[in-house]
Amino acid sequence: MSDFLNAYSIQTWLESCPQGYLENTEYGHAPGVKEPDLVLENPTLRKEAIGVTVQLVVGERCALAASSGLINCAPDYPSKRFLATQTLDEARHVEIFTQRLFDLGVKKDELESVISQHANPNLVKFAEVLLEKVDKGDFLAGVVGQNIVLEGLAFSVFEMMYAGNVELNPKFASTLSGTIADERRHVGFGENRIGSLLLEQPEKKPEIEKMQKEMTYYMLATFADRFRGQARVMEEIRRIVKENALEQKSQVWHGTDLATADAAEMEHVLADTVLKEFKTRLGRIGLEYQTPAQP
Amino acid sequence: MSVEMVEIHARDHEAFLREVHSFEFWFQSVEGYLVEHPYGVDPNAPIPELENSEKEALIATLSTYCVGEVAALDGASGMIGFAPSRQAKIFLATQVADEARHLEVMLHRLAELGVTDAEGEFEVRANRNLLAFRERLGEFVEAKDWEASLFAQNVILESMEFAAFHSHMQSADSRTAEMLAGVLKDERRHLGFGENDLGRHLAQAPHARRRLQEIKNELDTLVLATFEDSQRALGVPASERSEVGRLYLDTVARLGFDS
Repeated sequence: MSDFLNAYSIQTWLESCPQGYLENTEYGHAPGVKEPDLVLENPTLRKEAIGVTVQLVVGERCALAASSGLINCAPDYPSKRFLATQTLDEARHVEIFTQRLFDLGVKKDELESVISQHANPNLVKFAEVLLEKVDKGDFLAGVVGQNIVLEGLAFSVFEMMYAGNVELNPKFASTLSGTIADERRHVGFGENRIGSLLLEQPEKKPEIEKMQKEMTYYMLATFADRFRGQARVMEEIRRIVKENALEQKSQVWHGTDLATADAAEMEHVLADTVLKEFKTRLGRIGLEYQTPAQP
Repeated sequence: MSVEMVEIHARDHEAFLREVHSFEFWFQSVEGYLVEHPYGVDPNAPIPELENSEKEALIATLSTYCVGEVAALDGASGMIGFAPSRQAKIFLATQVADEARHLEVMLHRLAELGVTDAEGEFEVRANRNLLAFRERLGEFVEAKDWEASLFAQNVILESMEFAAFHSHMQSADSRTAEMLAGVLKDERRHLGFGENDLGRHLAQAPHARRRLQEIKNELDTLVLATFEDSQRALGVPASERSEVGRLYLDTVARLGFDS
């Protein structure tokens, strides 16, 4: 066990992250770079950017609470050390996405009310299911919920957002690229660590699978709210972007062109991608994916 | 001619705290002393040879330090869940990474000294008074008591570590001294956070001072006993052992807590 956990040491993290891909960055992007004028000046685009970023802040606050909360119940020191790096990664994510809200014009004393206003209630419930396990000191369930389900969701969402922003908003895309690198590391720990623990505690499988089912339901409900509920806004945004001669080149992500796909297609490709990866990762650690009800 | 008096260092205090408690600030600070220093030491510097008795004393001392770092790691991470602000949560996250790094570099030094299973052995070798302190800190964190947790962790424990490491550095071998120098830089930040946050709290809630003084009196016993045992193990003459205790008490006294 300790061989693979050596790859998750503080020293390795220092060399790859702050001394690696974060060097010469400020809040995850090149110093001094700003949000595009079009986003800041157009009320529809700005509101959409704020709404999306709020969900990221909510997710990262949950991840921060979960990773820090799991340190005390971690069964060995290498796991504690890894979770310490994840705690700082998640805090950094909270910081950079919160900073994005400020960059988008949200005033500091309005931050909490803006978050309350825009936070998706299904995403909040997703977080609550996970944090209940963490509060009980359930390391096994907590790591599956956090490092397989939550991080798996975040990884795909960030990749999709990155693909959609790499031309239109290089600042945001750059911020996302650092978080993607972090999430890759977090998912890797979950897969590697949990397999051996599950072999020792097979009686926990039903409870963990039930948690996964519930979290997946709320995740899919969040996607439904976002894509089905916001379809008209998304079309309006495409129109504004086109009107300003900022036509996006084809951005194919998992076989779907994000530049032209409609809301239903985007919801489908995101859900499909996340669920496929859940099934693969859960299967690798000895858990069976549980299909939730359709939201 | 009259001159208008202005505060030449006027700065929004909240903005200042947001900056110094941020990941960005931590990132810029540690880059200076951690780059090209894996496990906190110059990889090209020779590892000093120690006499057996020195080695054994150092192993016992580092084992005790590891217990302190685990206490701080568990404490800081546990406190994130009930920290009163986003800034406090983010600062504590930087402290979590620091404490985990301290544990890692100390275990690394123990391995250099020939301890084959440092992780498995350090608690067995560690000072029982510090183990009791760790348990008490854990009780405050478990109870989600911000005031007591912050005081016990970021004032008492950090002052204790500051005094111990600062004193030890004066007589340590070069490798251990270099490692401790990097650790001390982090502890200063942690102590600063504790002093700042509690200082503001006590200004608004002076009645809390009596309670914290009682906690201090309780924890002082464990801290000073740990110092006495560690100093004896390191071979510090009896006449000099009170120095580290005095440094600790002077550090805590900055917040107005007398011994």
